[in-house]
Amino acid sequence: MNSILEGFRKGITLIFGLNSEVLEILRLSLWVSIVATSIAVLIGVPLGSIIAIKKFPFKKIVIALVNTGMGLPPVVVGLFVVLFLSRNGPLGFLRWLYTPKGMVLAQVIIATPIITGLSLAAVQSVDPRFYQQILSLGATTRQSICVLVREIRLAILAAVIAGFGSIISEVGAVMMVGGNIKGQTRVLTTATVLETNMGNFDIAIALGLILLTMSFMVNLALTFIQQGRGRQR
Amino acid sequence: MIKIESLKLSFPGRLDFLIDELSIEEGRISAIIGPNGAGKTTLLNIIALFQKPDHGSIRIWGEDILKIRDKLNFRRKISFVFSQPYLINRTVYDNVVLPLRLRGIRGTQAVDEMLDLFKIGRLKNNTASTLSQGEKHRVSLARAFVTRPRLVLLDEPFLSLDARFKESLIDDLRRIISLNKITAIFVTQDHFEALALSDTIAVMMNGKILQMSSPEDIFTRPASREAADFVGVETIIEGLISKKEDNLCFIKVREKVLEAVSAYSEGDDVFICIRPEDVTVSKHMDTNSARNHFKAVIINIEPWRLEYKVSLDCGFNLIASVTAQSVKSLDLRAGGEVIASFKATAVHLIRRKAQDDRI
Repeated sequence: MNSILEGFRKGITLIFGLNSEVLEILRLSLWVSIVATSIAVLIGVPLGSIIAIKKFPFKKIVIALVNTGMGLPPVVVGLFVVLFLSRNGPLGFLRWLYTPKGMVLAQVIIATPIITGLSLAAVQSVDPRFYQQILSLGATTRQSICVLVREIRLAILAAVIAGFGSIISEVGAVMMVGGNIKGQTRVLTTATVLETNMGNFDIAIALGLILLTMSFMVNLALTFIQQGRGRQR
Repeated sequence: MIKIESLKLSFPGRLDFLIDELSIEEGRISAIIGPNGAGKTTLLNIIALFQKPDHGSIRIWGEDILKIRDKLNFRRKISFVFSQPYLINRTVYDNVVLPLRLRGIRGTQAVDEMLDLFKIGRLKNNTASTLSQGEKHRVSLARAFVTRPRLVLLDEPFLSLDARFKESLIDDLRRIISLNKITAIFVTQDHFEALALSDTIAVMMNGKILQMSSPEDIFTRPASREAADFVGVETIIEGLISKKEDNLCFIKVREKVLEAVSAYSEGDDVFICIRPEDVTVSKHMDTNSARNHFKAVIINIEPWRLEYKVSLDCGFNLIASVTAQSVKSLDLRAGGEVIASFKATAVHLIRRKAQDDRI
């Protein structure tokens, strides 16, 4: 028990004495997760909306696939991204293995199905007549999706928050694809794992607290956008 | 002219939607009335290209719209008002300007005009969710008319409105539609809405158009037994034309003989249709001009709309609508005897075909 308290005490001093190494880890963590979330949103929200709106053969199977994707095991994603990015893999020429770009790729693969699936469910929960009404006002498919997404932005931002959550907390895939290289691909989660394994609990606790704080700040910002002009029903 | 030909759409487990022929005049308001599930909304959905029929054609402005590829371009020339307003949860202004924005048009002035026309100018900056149901309907109508459409489809636009709101909205709507020479197709189950708003009425039942005619014809001269039943003809009885003198038919119903003006000939089997408002009830044999007088026993009296519905037995069943005042002054009560009279011109005949006997 004492060691835990001691860890917290040391951890908190470490946080306030942010050294450049910790700052670098924090910066990279933020960069990877924000870029990956943004890409996943740009793909997932329109994709989910289109799957929800359009009628096409095997729609149910497609939805089942998306839903399966929402629970993709990160280590499996990590494995395949490593295989694809490795020197002899099909995407080896990109030289993305053990780089932040590779980590972003893995995170996008993890988060996109989550955001797609939740957007899909959100759009499907809208009365189909509402969508037809927008179309009959003269909207193109793209315009109608914009109107619709704006109308259900609470649910869509919940999808974004879930996607961000899956990325910021993820450790398996970034470890495999990034390699946890100090100063290059070390992020808060992988650094926490490393320090814990090495028995540096105080540093691990400090990193864990920073991770939690950062996650809270980003979610706070998203929630402010979501609840924004508090005029929702 | 909008011409619909051999339009067919099958629904599993239900009667087919089938319109052999329907012409809708431009610049006028055509109502389509019929009970729930008659196919009225399906017709609008097909015209708005939301539902694809199995076959058929709809020619609008010289083009078969079922064949056009550019749905967007066609939809931008029409407007569709749903029975629910389906507003976006932003201000009234944002809602009304939306169709213009979607077309890339700036239209502050057009929006203000519409807001004034539908008397919602003062609500311009209110959020949709704060509006009453009646106000939401007005916003939805303003939004539909702001693009100056050539054709407007109205699907029970007054469904959940109270009577007073409905009346003023119908007045406004009629004015706006006729002012702008818009073609409107208006779907409703409500006879009074149809009468108040439309130039022509089509009766639709079980996926088919039974009759299309002027409002007066529809209500006083229905073309079939089902149509008569739907438009509020309370007395529909079977009879046989036993004699004819000029236009005057003598129709035998059981032991009695009714007189009616009709073009049908002697020996025709007919349905006799009498609207309840055309039947007069009195205590003594009047000397009024009505040719049909029958002694009747009152079977039942019940409140009906603002009046009373009096069921009579005069050898055949006859239903009359009587004002509350008359019920009181004539002291009408079940079991009492009265004289029921109606004019020969108030009796409408429908020729009975063999197939009608099955109904």
